[in-house]
Amino acid sequence: MKVSELIDDLKRRREKVHLGGGPKRIESQHKKGKMTARERIEYFLDKDSFVETDTFVEHRSTEFDMDKTEVPGEGVVTGYGTVDGRLVYVFAQDFTAMGGSLGEYHAQKICKVMDMALKMGAPLIGLNDSGGARIQEGVDALSGYGSIFYRNTIASGVIPQISAIMGPCAGGAVYSPALTDFVFMVNGTSQIFITGPQVVKAVTGEDVTQEELGGAMTHSSKSGVAHFVASDDKECLDQIRMLLSYLPSNNLEEAPLIDTGDDVNRIAAELDSIIPDNPNKAYDMKDVIRAVVDNGEFMEVMAGYARNIITCYARIGGRSVGIIANQPNFLAGSLDIDASDKAARFVRTCDAFNIPLVNFVDVPGYLPGTNQEYGGIERHGAKLLYAYSEATVPKITVITRKAYGGAYIAMCSRHLGADAVFAWPTAEIAVMGPDGAANIVFKKEIEESENPAETRQQKIEEYREKFANPYKAAARGYIDDVIEPRYTRQYIAQSLEMLRSKRETRPAKKHGNMPV
Amino acid sequence: MMKKYRITVNGNTYEVEVEELTGEVERPSYAPTPQPLATPSAPTAPRPATTAPQPKSQAAKPAEAPGAVTSPMPGTILDVKVKEGDEVKKGQVLMILEAMKMENEIMAPSDGRVKTIYVQKGASVNTGDPLVELS
Repeated sequence: MKVSELIDDLKRRREKVHLGGGPKRIESQHKKGKMTARERIEYFLDKDSFVETDTFVEHRSTEFDMDKTEVPGEGVVTGYGTVDGRLVYVFAQDFTAMGGSLGEYHAQKICKVMDMALKMGAPLIGLNDSGGARIQEGVDALSGYGSIFYRNTIASGVIPQISAIMGPCAGGAVYSPALTDFVFMVNGTSQIFITGPQVVKAVTGEDVTQEELGGAMTHSSKSGVAHFVASDDKECLDQIRMLLSYLPSNNLEEAPLIDTGDDVNRIAAELDSIIPDNPNKAYDMKDVIRAVVDNGEFMEVMAGYARNIITCYARIGGRSVGIIANQPNFLAGSLDIDASDKAARFVRTCDAFNIPLVNFVDVPGYLPGTNQEYGGIERHGAKLLYAYSEATVPKITVITRKAYGGAYIAMCSRHLGADAVFAWPTAEIAVMGPDGAANIVFKKEIEESENPAETRQQKIEEYREKFANPYKAAARGYIDDVIEPRYTRQYIAQSLEMLRSKRETRPAKKHGNMPV
Repeated sequence: MMKKYRITVNGNTYEVEVEELTGEVERPSYAPTPQPLATPSAPTAPRPATTAPQPKSQAAKPAEAPGAVTSPMPGTILDVKVKEGDEVKKGQVLMILEAMKMENEIMAPSDGRVKTIYVQKGASVNTGDPLVELS
């Protein structure tokens, strides 16, 4: 063959792989409102930056007529490229090629980019759209999953790993996304479940649709498996690009500094009137966050799950920060199992990737009740204390109002190693609320009084005046200063600047033993 | 199976044969033979004469109708803002639940008519207790 013919042959071969499962299946993919694997990568990465790896990889399976079955690209497109000019590795499962099913070489292609991502210290983004294990390949398919899970674990805390679920993701396939740092789902076209509706029906008799069982809404509000939900493929990919802007490429770097144009000395006068005069009235903590961060922009993580705590990324003075805040608007902002779990995970993600923590505290306590006790609030609540204590990134805490009892300690108090703690004059930092405390401390006086109800009220007021303020804690140095709300942004920005050189080491150990 | 050991005590060497008298464990010849660890026998706790009490079956809860609004946390009903038969809009405040040192607004999850009110002002409620049913 002449060289020109060889080159033509290469072009033909490449074209064939690029077509995946062929025009008919591509059309069917589009009809479902989904982009193809290549379209997704193309859209996601910076223009013309994609470099493909393992274009011509083929399976070597012979059982069940597999020797006569061609799977172009092995049902997955892999490679690397850039997002905002920064290197990232990516794989996208191709549902048009044998349902994106995962076999031995499909998995090997993924493992290759995972290994490269780890070696180069760059984020790994997986776009999942697969019918599951390629049954024809038997245990080799299982081995493939296992190799991916192992690499997910080894890379955890070294490079950011992001999973987007853009189609079905069932059975063993669910565990790779679950092991990664962030899970995105596309509403309506993606599902995650261990077993589908038919098996659920057969085993438990429950009638449930795919969407109810494992759709984006289920996982973003009920189960907490998904961190972000998008309405279509493009929005999902845009969100991932946005999230990457808040993250460093690996655990040895810092997130990119971005000039947001928002003055760090901007005074947020609206914060002076955000807390209602009646301490029992709620307000929206997101208004506080909006007023403090650059341009009022923040990206919420797990927005629909455990809404009593807010976790989000934002910038202050152009620097990426992770914000954890109680939300008085939902469950009174109390801490419960789900909120502790959500916040603990977020804190650890931030700590792993050198993102400073900023905490806004308005917490009445841990939510009481049998649900919580039977659910194991102690071990779940402990996760949050563990995560904060373990974190060595800069930790800044602002107490806006209530900070009572164990929940006060848990919300990144000085005692768990906060580097800078500020309180607003509206802060109430005490061992417990005035009502409960008065009942215990003044039990005798109240019982022996001629008018117990009146005495009780009197004692509650007495307690409130004496203890429901920031000055007892300030007197001990548990908080560094009481500040006017309007200057909060400046105080945080200044603290972040001061803490840039923070170095804190922990005793050498294999790993801690967080109560997972 | 006989095992031979050579043991030296104070310079005197003894050859000792040891035979295990317990029943032979059937095993393939290539498998390793793990030795059981000497463990003190577990103290036998006195067994309770009766079987453990069975948890009482949960009292039947009112069916969770799609329009049921339940209490999100334990607390006290501070105020009931609607009457049975009232038309309500999504997001309208139905009652105030005082819980966790806060007056929490219980809002209508959807448009509808108040069919039943399950609680009165001053009532103590637990997580999941039905408060209002909308139709």
